[in-house]
Amino acid sequence: MSLFVVTIVVFSLSHLTGDPVDAMLPDDATQQQIEDLTKHLGLDRPYHVQYVTFIGNALRGDFGQSTKWRGKSASTVVLERLPATLKLGGLAILISVVASIPLGVLAAVYRNSPLDRGASVIALLGQSLPAFWLAIVLMWIFAVTLGWFPTSGLGGLSYMILPAVAMAWFQVAALTRLTRSAMLEVLDSEYVKFAKVKGLTENVVIWKHAFRNAAIVPVTYFGVLAGSLLTGSVVIETVFAWPGTGLLALEAIRGRDFPVVQFVVLFFAVFYLFANLVIDVVYGLIDPRIRQD
Amino acid sequence: MEQLLSCRPARALALVAGVLLATGVGAQVHAADRVVFATTLPQNQSNLFWGGTGERLPNFQALVGHDPISGKYDNSELAESWSTNEGFTEWTFKLKPDAEFHFGWGPVTAADVVHSYELTTGPDSTINSIEHLRAKSAVAVDDHTVVFTFDTPRTNYAFQHAGRGSLVIYSKAQYDAEGVEGYNTKPAGTSAYQYVERVPGVGVTFERVENHWQGTVPDFKELEIRYVQEQATILALLLSGEAQIASIPRELQKQALEAGKKIISSQNPAMATGAIFNGMYGKSGDPAYRPDLPWWNVKVREAMNRALNREEMIDVLYDGRAEPTPSWLMDSRNEGYVPELMERFDEMYGYDPERARELLAEAGYPDAFPDPMIPIVSSTLNGNPEFPVMSELLQVYFEEIGLQTELREMDWPKLGALGRARESFMISPVRNAPLRPTEAALVNFHTERGTPYGGFEDDKIEGLADKLTATIDPDERNAIASEAFTYLFEQYVDMPLAIVFAEVTVDPEVVSDWTFPGVTTNSISHWHLIKAAK
Repeated sequence: MSLFVVTIVVFSLSHLTGDPVDAMLPDDATQQQIEDLTKHLGLDRPYHVQYVTFIGNALRGDFGQSTKWRGKSASTVVLERLPATLKLGGLAILISVVASIPLGVLAAVYRNSPLDRGASVIALLGQSLPAFWLAIVLMWIFAVTLGWFPTSGLGGLSYMILPAVAMAWFQVAALTRLTRSAMLEVLDSEYVKFAKVKGLTENVVIWKHAFRNAAIVPVTYFGVLAGSLLTGSVVIETVFAWPGTGLLALEAIRGRDFPVVQFVVLFFAVFYLFANLVIDVVYGLIDPRIRQD
Repeated sequence: MEQLLSCRPARALALVAGVLLATGVGAQVHAADRVVFATTLPQNQSNLFWGGTGERLPNFQALVGHDPISGKYDNSELAESWSTNEGFTEWTFKLKPDAEFHFGWGPVTAADVVHSYELTTGPDSTINSIEHLRAKSAVAVDDHTVVFTFDTPRTNYAFQHAGRGSLVIYSKAQYDAEGVEGYNTKPAGTSAYQYVERVPGVGVTFERVENHWQGTVPDFKELEIRYVQEQATILALLLSGEAQIASIPRELQKQALEAGKKIISSQNPAMATGAIFNGMYGKSGDPAYRPDLPWWNVKVREAMNRALNREEMIDVLYDGRAEPTPSWLMDSRNEGYVPELMERFDEMYGYDPERARELLAEAGYPDAFPDPMIPIVSSTLNGNPEFPVMSELLQVYFEEIGLQTELREMDWPKLGALGRARESFMISPVRNAPLRPTEAALVNFHTERGTPYGGFEDDKIEGLADKLTATIDPDERNAIASEAFTYLFEQYVDMPLAIVFAEVTVDPEVVSDWTFPGVTTNSISHWHLIKAAK
């Protein structure tokens, strides 16, 4: 049902942006050129016929031919850019988790310490700095001035670090705050005090007993995180010229390439739904009470 | 801190950071035999030329070339010579017999030209000026002769094959063997650079052709065109040394210059810019005629022209590196050039806000108009990043003399659609790029049979344009064109601003020079003339 609604919204919005023929043809296109291309693209048919055709073809896995990337299907155009986004998004998720979970846990354990206050500053900056600004600042400092990393483009790990950090920055802030508050609640509970009294080491108490129970909160956020890293890639990929689906979406929208826009948005929607399904399953693994329910 | 580092997660974090930094160090690569040109994403990102609006890849050639300095037509590309019949209804192109396609696809023949012409004029073509390219017939007379015939005289048909670059030549043999997929994966061209690969969303790479059929030997072994959406990122690529040539707007060039980079300009003007009064459909009986528009009153048009401080605009928009022009369609190299218009320009169009206010009062503005609002389009167009700023400047100047204005943001295709529907009742920045031959310019922008973008149309200019099209005598054509330009000038039909040269910013340690005429559709050409620094 969600996907059905998404298809209607995507189809309607993409057609509301204007006629792709206007974007494809040059300024001095003639009426004949316009009519030829409109017919060639099947845009001369009524909207409802175009929608039914789109759905019928989509169910068979055919999302039509890209109007901007000539000679390629919309799915081919998107799928050949997808690995780049998944790689970058994957690294950004890794950075988010690796940085924020320990930071959030330690900030809770060492509450009101300089570390805790440092984590608060990171959270504040992370949530207030716009991603595109941070991206350009990182590029300027670490690529142009220091020359440690390439400025932009597609390549190995060194090309991914700056965009991944810029992408992860906001998520680190959010996840650190969530982890910290969840841990504070758990650390104050009776069973944690009991574990300490039993003589367990601090590491065991924190990571095995407290964190496992607090993890449900960051895990809940993980679904949002995965989805937003994919969809949020538009800005970062554009600034760093990283040729993933985010940059592709922007190009397709500007070029009014309906088939590609529709496939990208549907793909994002499916990904988002799938990520949330995975989170529901993971809940059960973490919390036996949910499994029993 | 000690407590922190004793904790395993913190140690892991430090380790990850160390590894990441280690992988980044030394990421910059400077290769003397490779040059990277960074520019914004083009509309067409496929190897199929007819799928774009005329962005020509460096591996292709057209029939007619240009002298790199004067910009005049020459036989540096595939046609050895060309001629027309007396009536200019038949154009014959003789191909160079030794021209060869890359990758062993054989010699260039007339059949390749006809095949490329058919692809380019097909129903899915989005090429600029296609109607001007389209002929009644295109016939391969023999292996090296192609004849294009027309119903009406085409005095400027060579322009379609040269500056406008509406046709590049593909290999028919490759098409017959591999279909359009062959063009998508490894298109054979004929220039001194041959195609290597296209990485979607990243760019296209070319390599020097060893033993090129023309004997051309570019300095750089490899040429990469890197596509980048953000202008700041393009600048970063240049400053970091990852790109050696960049196409950046003038506002960012200052930073590049401060960092020791160098600007190289085209040898000739690449475009003329200005602003036009859209929606002046004044031909007798035109249903789109809207005489209530404030700018139908010539005094209002004069006032708007006199409101503009062009010197200041050129400083702001082009950093002073542009020349004022009395017409954005007239060019000294083309038919009908009237040098006196430049002499009269200051007297008739000069900055005079006081006189502008008087003119508005004489026109009865605003009370005499049902809707005195002047809408100004703010839009971006590839190659003209200054257009939104130009719109804002227009607004400031107009309001200064008492005009009521409104800035309307819209994308360029939307403006085009309004023009085609003959509903573009607004002021907009405009460019003429490349500078068209006179007839094409007048027909395109001032007649109903051209594309309905230009603002001003009336019976007189329509008549002059028709007469120009029907006339083949050079002197007579020159006189008609001069009359047309003078009439348009005296009617204040637009707001001409500047003649602008194309510019690239280069790293002088890698690129010492690049001579390009600036007269082609994308302004940039002659890739084989990029000179390496010693």
